[in-house]
Amino acid sequence: MYIFLQKRLILFGLMLFIHPSAYAAPLGYQGSVMTMLDYSQNWREASFNYAVTNRDAFGLTHLEIRSDDRQKKRTIDEFTYTKLLSRWNQPSSQSNLWLFLGIGSLRGEDKLGLMKDSFDKVLVNPGMQFDYETTRVYFAATHKLYRATDINHDFSSVRAGFSFYETDYEKTQPWFIVEARYTNHLSDKVEITPMLRLINKSFFVEGGINNDAQPRLNFMYTF
Amino acid sequence: MKKLITILFLALSINSVSAFATPTLKVSVNGMVCAFCAQGIEKKVKALAETKEVYVNLKAHLVAIELKEGKKLSNETITKIIKDAGYDVTNIEESEHPLAHIKAGMDK
Repeated sequence: MYIFLQKRLILFGLMLFIHPSAYAAPLGYQGSVMTMLDYSQNWREASFNYAVTNRDAFGLTHLEIRSDDRQKKRTIDEFTYTKLLSRWNQPSSQSNLWLFLGIGSLRGEDKLGLMKDSFDKVLVNPGMQFDYETTRVYFAATHKLYRATDINHDFSSVRAGFSFYETDYEKTQPWFIVEARYTNHLSDKVEITPMLRLINKSFFVEGGINNDAQPRLNFMYTF
Repeated sequence: MKKLITILFLALSINSVSAFATPTLKVSVNGMVCAFCAQGIEKKVKALAETKEVYVNLKAHLVAIELKEGKKLSNETITKIIKDAGYDVTNIEESEHPLAHIKAGMDK
């Protein structure tokens, strides 16, 4: 029991060092390490990346996704490259166009009644994101391909929201964000999650409940 | 005579204060909308040997840098650091006021 708890604590500790591809800017400043954790019942992702320039970052991602009926499970481990293709800085806004590239392994498990089919494949994971942000509004549209032989779990998400008020740089700013996301061949539904986002200069955290009444938590930290 | 000495002393004091006053640089920055994303600017500028203190104001699009006594920082260095953090510098000016004055919003 003690060892089990210790393992869980170590795993949680590791998770805290990890980065999301679909929130805020998915890349820190040059020389920084950005970490992320995205946790919900059917989507558990932990990743980090290192920004070698202010436009390029390399990282690692571990992702576990599951179908709504729990009959399909996918475990992905990949090397990632994030590229800021273009940034438009205005006095009161910023917009960005991002390119994501990932390659790694996909371990799958499909349950068909009493039968269980397990497989390992090579996964490629390219994607794009456009986002626009002011101190009061936020919008992001992301599309990523999750492809392996006979596998297509392409992912789309749209996020939009507003901050309740502007704050000083040192203070925590609360936001209301709604995300709609869809994962091909794992769910028939569009998952919609209204979330409370708290942004501080040191951390970024989001929490909400999706349209299946399942909790969701996102966390980011930059070193 | 006493008055003259006092005036002379005051004039010299004011002169010496301005000679050793640490300037504060006011940098206008485009694209700085999120504290989590803008932390790179603060960290990089703070890491400079010339920097005493940094103040970021998202609403005013302002980064204010108080320099250590006798230190100078070129506009090129500031522009490069902020550019490397992902933002654009639109203006740099030297303020005669200390950082606390700018923080208090009195340096309009």
